[in-house]
Amino acid sequence: MPEVSKMKKPDVKVVLLGDMNVGKTSLLHRYTERKFRDTISTVGGAFFLKQWGPYNISIWDTAGREQFHGLGSMYCRGAAAVILTYDVTNWQSLAELEERFLSLTDTANHDCIYAVVGNKADLIDPKAQMFQDSGGEPEDRTELEKDRTEPQVLSSCPTPPASPASPSGMILHKPVTHEDAVALYGRILRYKGLEEKSSLPAEKMCFETSAKTGYNVDTLFETLFDLVLPSILRKRNENQASPTVDLEECRGKRARTSCC
Amino acid sequence: MERDNHQGEAQGVHISEPPSESSLPADTLVTSLSLLGNHMFPDAGEKQEEINSTADKEEPAELQQSDVALKEHSVAEPHSNQLKRLETEEAETSVDLNNVSTQSTDREKEDTAMDNDQSDSGEFVVTMLAKAKLEEQGIGVKGRSSPLLEAGTQESPAFMSHRDEDVTAESWRQHRKHVFVLSEAGKPIYSRYGSEEALSSTMGVMMALVSFVQSGDNIIRSVYSEEHTVVFLQKGPLVLVCVSSSRQSEEQLRGELLYVYYQIVSMLTQASISRIFEHKKNYDLRRLLAGSEKILDGLLNLVDSDPSFLLAAVHCLPLACSLRDSLSQILQKAITPNLVFSILIAKNQLLTIVQEKTVIEDTRLEPADVHLLLNLIGASSAFQAGEIWTPICLPLFNPDCYFYAYISYLDPPECTVCLLLLSTDKEAFYAVAECKRKIEEAMAAQNSLSLIAKAQSYSVSQVGVSDLRHFMYKPFDVPDNYRQLTQFTSPEMEAPYTSEEEKMRLLDLYRFMHSRIHSTSRPLKLIYHVAERETLLAWVTSKFELYTCFSPLVTKACAITAITKLLRWIKKEEDRLFIRYPPKYSTTPNPSKSSRGGKSDQQDTTDNGYLSLL
Ligand SMILES: Nc1nc2c(ncn2[C@@H]2O[C@H](COP(=O)(O)OP(=O)(O)OP(=O)(O)O)[C@@H](O)[C@H]2O)c(=O)[nH]1
Ligand SMILES: [Mg+2]
Repeated sequence: MPEVSKMKKPDVKVVLLGDMNVGKTSLLHRYTERKFRDTISTVGGAFFLKQWGPYNISIWDTAGREQFHGLGSMYCRGAAAVILTYDVTNWQSLAELEERFLSLTDTANHDCIYAVVGNKADLIDPKAQMFQDSGGEPEDRTELEKDRTEPQVLSSCPTPPASPASPSGMILHKPVTHEDAVALYGRILRYKGLEEKSSLPAEKMCFETSAKTGYNVDTLFETLFDLVLPSILRKRNENQASPTVDLEECRGKRARTSCC
Repeated sequence: MERDNHQGEAQGVHISEPPSESSLPADTLVTSLSLLGNHMFPDAGEKQEEINSTADKEEPAELQQSDVALKEHSVAEPHSNQLKRLETEEAETSVDLNNVSTQSTDREKEDTAMDNDQSDSGEFVVTMLAKAKLEEQGIGVKGRSSPLLEAGTQESPAFMSHRDEDVTAESWRQHRKHVFVLSEAGKPIYSRYGSEEALSSTMGVMMALVSFVQSGDNIIRSVYSEEHTVVFLQKGPLVLVCVSSSRQSEEQLRGELLYVYYQIVSMLTQASISRIFEHKKNYDLRRLLAGSEKILDGLLNLVDSDPSFLLAAVHCLPLACSLRDSLSQILQKAITPNLVFSILIAKNQLLTIVQEKTVIEDTRLEPADVHLLLNLIGASSAFQAGEIWTPICLPLFNPDCYFYAYISYLDPPECTVCLLLLSTDKEAFYAVAECKRKIEEAMAAQNSLSLIAKAQSYSVSQVGVSDLRHFMYKPFDVPDNYRQLTQFTSPEMEAPYTSEEEKMRLLDLYRFMHSRIHSTSRPLKLIYHVAERETLLAWVTSKFELYTCFSPLVTKACAITAITKLLRWIKKEEDRLFIRYPPKYSTTPNPSKSSRGGKSDQQDTTDNGYLSLL
């Protein structure tokens, strides 16, 4: 309802998508509160505001449960960035991104950027496990950890997940390799009809994180925020022409709500 | 002397002592379905009509004397009548239990495995168990994973991990109240405790029982054993089962199962559930409910610990009338199209509810719907910093439609004051969030948050009656503009009811009194019950329902004076204790619409896309 003039939409929208239990809420919580604590499976979606420089970034943490599947495209509407999250210890969760979540992003902006994020890296990567999130200077730490090695992967078997009725359910919980994620990123670009050359490179957009230790979490969010800046500026220019949105008031309000 | 007398009587009906203790030996089985004293009734509407067995027919005659006596009850003379009643009651209970098996024989002539003999009952269960196993094999292969049934072969999904209970352990069986939900095809949907192994056999037995009885055009309603009451409730394609050692009445337990059903409906809507199972009989509903276990767990914990559910009434936080009014006005001013309910909650209790005019015109918000909302909020506390936007169905308001709930805390980081706004428009998040900004601003201007922070429940000592330890008072509707949400008031539980065990014990006493008052066969108006460590008095009139708890030394006369005093005190404090004259607003341009029952075009009947998943 754009005619409600007092509606103060934030500058840009980032959406977390992915199967239940992959750690979307935990990632966001680690980033905003610098803590890892018990979560309850999300219902619907939860809206957060993050101030990034002079800009207000809204982040939607969505529920991964199938119960809320139909709402996904609503949360994605007009998104500037979508974080497709999977659990590195669960092959199925990566497969679900393609089967269930990718189509939800049809309502996102045409220039939306996509990140493929393997969470729970602490379970397979010693580097992620040893990582210590020092609340005070998270950036430095992240820099130090930048020269990460490939996680030690137990298997590189590319077989797709077997049907759940298979005698060994283990396949579903086979770890996901970085290559699997990179390959998925390629398929996402193809799905979106984007040229690999003119798009952001997979190395830059495939992350492995740990909400538990904080490994790569700041890097993930901050990389994305920097990448959506052009989108913000473009949107602001568009809005300046429109008399219905009062940006000054908007900024003043949001500053109070957001945390650092 | 008088007191001793009471105590003697009281022991006979003390809830921790099953009256059936000596009458029937237990026949234990893995499932705890140890004794099949079946109460099977024809498929009919209300329970009263269904009680047509020999045993039940005898009851009224046998009890006529006490019933007549009770009709003449007055506050002045509850004691002697009560004595009579207690005696009769005890006699009746054992009669009931002894007749159970006879009754089964009569009613289950089709099946010879069912007999009134003990050992044959056991045999029956074994037969059922075997049946159950067969069914299971048929179910297990199809569809996506059913973590419960494929336990042995498949690693449990992570969401199962918090219920890794060893079901072979005695501790699993010791749980006071098990609740299971399964589909008609026998697929497990939810279990309050425990893991796969026992669940598949237990649920198998239950489903076998249900379908077996159904095949004879009957409905299984309950099974009694020495230690457990097993209550069944079938709602559409879902079967809910409660195995309880809590000594609650069948009606109470069924009421609790109904809350579980409603909570499931609140997440999926009744229409979607039926559609899903029409489409695919053996659909694994866990697929859609996965992740909701904590919401159902939380509900069952609340049901056990919060008398709101027993009383089917909401408990609001006592608040100065002027403050409550000003909060209501704030909500009343912050509106947007399609907003229908604005609810303010503090410390998990209601502060105020403001409703859209036309929505409320021919109905009112049912307490059960409020309970489900409060439970949902409790279960979503993990993301207190954010603003939640989620579809939710209010099953009593309209079981087939979704509302969209906006949930946000107003006092981070404490997160005790919660705003809940319900809209019928899926896309209204930003507009509704804007209402919150307005409400926040207005509350800041009036310093409301710090005033709310001071609000708290009250102590029974404020009533000024020394022997009164606790009470629950639920007024009924007063005509006209008082037509509103059913509420009750109750003081804080204080010594000796401070430990969890003691609190539960008092609640159990209340549940016992409640079951007597609301007994379908012999409802009572007044009960004076001398228990071991306290004396209770329950009284229901056309104007209110009251449960009181006194110290054990209170005399009858004393208790009656106390109640008179209490009622006077409540009358005086009424404006503070209850939400009165809830205000309304109008957000719809066309006021002729109402969304109750029928599918108003304002409400969302979409299924969130479940069907596409089938
Ligand atoms: N070891 C490990 N566990 C994690 C990590 N992140 C999350 N978890 C655990 O994974 C479970 C699910 O985390 P959530 O953040 O609630 O998952 P979600 O993706 O938000 O799930 P939904 O809200 O249901 O969609 C929790 O038990 C977390 O403790 C991680 O980085 N490492
Ligand atoms: Mg979540």
